[in-house]
Amino acid sequence: MRVLLRRGFFYLVTAWAAISLNFLLPRIMPGDPADALIEKFHGKLTPAAVKALRVLFGQSHASLWQQYVDYWHNVFTGNFGISYAYYPTSVSDVLGQSIGWTLVLISVCTVLGFLIGTGLGMIVGWKRGSWLDSLIPITTLLSSIPYFWFAICVVLLFAIVLHWFPLSGGYSVTETIGLNWGFISSATYYAVLPALTIVVASIGGWLIGMRNMMVTTLSEDYVKLAEAKGLPKRRIMFTYAARNAMLPSFSSFAMSLGFVVGGSIVTEVVFNYPGIGTVLFKAAQAQDYPLMQGIFLVITVTVLVANMLADLAYVFLDPRTREG
Amino acid sequence: MAISAATAQEAESTDTTGSSRFGWLRAFRRPMTLTGVVIVGVFCVLAIIGPWIAPYDPSGVSKATLQPPSPEHWLGTTQTGQDILSQMLYGTQVSMLVGVLAAVVATLLSVVVGLAAGYLGGVSDEILSLLANVFLVIPALPLTVILAAYLPKTGSFGIILVISITGWAWGARVLRAQTLSLRKRDFVEAARATGERTTSIIFRDIFPNQVAVIAASFLGTVTGAILTQASLAFLGLTNVTEWSWGTILYWAQVSSALLTNSWWWFVPAGAAIALLGTGLSLVNFGIDEFINPRLRQAGIGTKKAQRAQAKAARAKAPRRRRSEARSSQGRTRTSDVILQINDLEVDYVGEGSITKAVNGVSLTLRRGEVLGIAGESGSGKSTLAHAITRLHKPPAQISAGELLYQRDDGTTIDILAMDEDELRRFRWEELAIVFQSAMHALNPILRIGTQIDDAIKAHRPAMSAGERAARVLELLDLVGIQTDRVDAYPHELSGGMRQRAMIAVGLALDPEIIVMDEPTTALDVVIQRQVVEKIIELKDRLGFSVIFITHDLSLLIEMSDTIAVMYAGRVVELADAKEFYRNPRHPYSGGLLGSFPTLSGPKRELEGIPGAPPDLRRLPSGCAFNPRCPLAFDRCTAVVPPLFALAGEAEWQQAQAACLLYEGDGSAPDRVPSDEGAPREDHRLVEEAR
Repeated sequence: MRVLLRRGFFYLVTAWAAISLNFLLPRIMPGDPADALIEKFHGKLTPAAVKALRVLFGQSHASLWQQYVDYWHNVFTGNFGISYAYYPTSVSDVLGQSIGWTLVLISVCTVLGFLIGTGLGMIVGWKRGSWLDSLIPITTLLSSIPYFWFAICVVLLFAIVLHWFPLSGGYSVTETIGLNWGFISSATYYAVLPALTIVVASIGGWLIGMRNMMVTTLSEDYVKLAEAKGLPKRRIMFTYAARNAMLPSFSSFAMSLGFVVGGSIVTEVVFNYPGIGTVLFKAAQAQDYPLMQGIFLVITVTVLVANMLADLAYVFLDPRTREG
Repeated sequence: MAISAATAQEAESTDTTGSSRFGWLRAFRRPMTLTGVVIVGVFCVLAIIGPWIAPYDPSGVSKATLQPPSPEHWLGTTQTGQDILSQMLYGTQVSMLVGVLAAVVATLLSVVVGLAAGYLGGVSDEILSLLANVFLVIPALPLTVILAAYLPKTGSFGIILVISITGWAWGARVLRAQTLSLRKRDFVEAARATGERTTSIIFRDIFPNQVAVIAASFLGTVTGAILTQASLAFLGLTNVTEWSWGTILYWAQVSSALLTNSWWWFVPAGAAIALLGTGLSLVNFGIDEFINPRLRQAGIGTKKAQRAQAKAARAKAPRRRRSEARSSQGRTRTSDVILQINDLEVDYVGEGSITKAVNGVSLTLRRGEVLGIAGESGSGKSTLAHAITRLHKPPAQISAGELLYQRDDGTTIDILAMDEDELRRFRWEELAIVFQSAMHALNPILRIGTQIDDAIKAHRPAMSAGERAARVLELLDLVGIQTDRVDAYPHELSGGMRQRAMIAVGLALDPEIIVMDEPTTALDVVIQRQVVEKIIELKDRLGFSVIFITHDLSLLIEMSDTIAVMYAGRVVELADAKEFYRNPRHPYSGGLLGSFPTLSGPKRELEGIPGAPPDLRRLPSGCAFNPRCPLAFDRCTAVVPPLFALAGEAEWQQAQAACLLYEGDGSAPDRVPSDEGAPREDHRLVEEAR
């Protein structure tokens, strides 16, 4: 329990740090993004929109502390201002429309990539020294490929040459978004290629990490004892080796997840997928600072939540963490 | 970077020793590592000379638009007729420069933060670690995108800065853990005690030991930085008129190269990133394997590892039958032999060298007997224990000998001839082993009860869960663990309890023999006593035989019936425990006995044995003990003495000693003298006798 409390506290601190960073960045960076935007949308902005911009990016007349308080007020009320790339939609609305796509795509792909990669890593580690070792250079190559480039290759092969899957987008325009069969099947069909890209590109990292931990765990005395006890191979592999070898994957989950999220964002751009990655790309192109800030906050908070889940799983798997 | 995630976790718990500071250079000999080095080297050269050898101006437009690869344009041209090969060559320079410089800055940051946090400890550690962890959890790419967007159309300098700010945390965390473990090491403690300055300790004693870890973290960061730069460039967040691999991909994407099917436009840049990344990872594998030598061993799941185990023994010609084996062993008191070890040899097979860890050992174990095996570390006693149970792993290999087990019904089976399945059924059912450290031998994340139950379940598939649970409780009770601790995890038990639990695991199937490999070494004297008494009590009650291995001779004398003393892989003395205590024959036994206090019995002065145990790879000629032996004479360097049978009382085992002093009738000096003057005299005596 105390471990969980400690971790919970850590995530609160991290969230605070990330949000404060978001507040500070536009204020310490050269130039004034607010001025630039007001200039760009000359005359088109309502006074309220200008005020919101000032709260986000710094007002000349208010004290820094007052700005900070206002900023937090906005964060909690979900008021991130107006998006300029999608003018005049509010940032919260843009986020609301795109977050679901990314959330489903990345969580499904992360779980799949983790299961396949860790599973393969377990087998390769278990059979260390056999022909399976030759998989390592291949997976290394796979995991060194930039996600977005792999995405381009996948599109070329499966969408342009073979015409098996659609080129881009998230669903067929003839469907209406909602919980109906037509939409869900269409969305799944459109998601195959992006998902394939992310899963294949992320397997390598999990595989190699798990394999190395597996090999290390296999030389532990408790595995030797399990072997001596005459346990079935399967039982040794899963319960005595793999379960222990998996633990570090959970504690380094944060970094691996950050890597997958980063890769997925760029992958979405290639597929013009209606998720948050594509939105971030458009925001960056249009220098839509409010939208970028909103996206950064949403991604950070989501990643933090995912990490907390990984921590929970860790506590569930390792009894040693359960006491003070 | 994700590649090294779990590996680096492992690196946190291992450490490099002071003596092998630059031994990591050896890692470069492996073919995989070498391939990596060559790949990275080629890219480095291209990065330097690229712009000079580029055939065209990378931005120069021409009429040859969207040409596939041809002799004029090896990699084809873009929509505006730019030469892609030239773009690639210029791009290599920018991409590598950004990657390397960003990694240099990030690594510097992580070294400073990691060393400071690990070495200073206290509040500074708390704060720096928190900072590193926060940066680790915040997803790097979105942060980088935002940072890059605030510096619109920045050149490489801004990108380098942005990447290093987000890329230092992982290295810092690994280095901190390393520093923490190094800080507690003797040579650092010593430097601190002699009043060396903090900065000088960090840079002279700690830093050189982390070169390998720092190098691994640096290479990982280079890969990460190149990928990040490519992503940012691809998203159009860098200066798109400056050629880098990412910029080429950006223009390909913007110009819809896909739709025009001009694959040559985007394939080279991505392939270059992937290839360089692979090269760097391969180099990193080499470093990982150096940091963590266990990664080099063969896995137990492989047939190869299983086969290698007893290859030589099984390839041998027809085995001697039981009667012959017995006669070769000489006089035995009773006929109820349960385990017969004949001329067992165990080799450690290295690269081009073979080291004999167990060299022609023959021993006999009878029903209900406690056979104690004593020796210093490196004498081969633990290797012997593992070989008896066939739990040894490559590079250890049984090269000769027999392990004959006699069943209740009188039939004899050769343990070395068993196939994997037979061995699995035999082990634990008939022969169990208790390891030295229960802390390591019990799986930390499984309940004690489960670990006992596992053994029963594997061998008695017919038993119901209820019957097994009852048996588990019975076993716990037997070894003196309260039955309500059945659901406890190993870390919840005390050291003595854990060792008892280990014994319960060993007893699970009522084996005939239990091999105990230093079962009490990790315990304090009082607990040790309790555990030993428990073992003796159980042995008397259940009637199993014990092979007890330890370096603690006084403990052994108390509990054993027979004692075998091992030195440099050979048994040098074999005798009844009481007789051995009264009258140790081998000069080594005499020295060993003189260096331990006894728990009971008369007090005597403690002496050590001069010198150190021999290096098995470079054994002295003749008797391995001769350089340390106070009684050595000329012939000792020429002849390897066999075991000579000796006269004297014997209940279980007629005394034998492998010493030339007993050559001949075996009755020569009946006492190894322990006082100073005697050796010379004895020496002469023996010489005259010859």
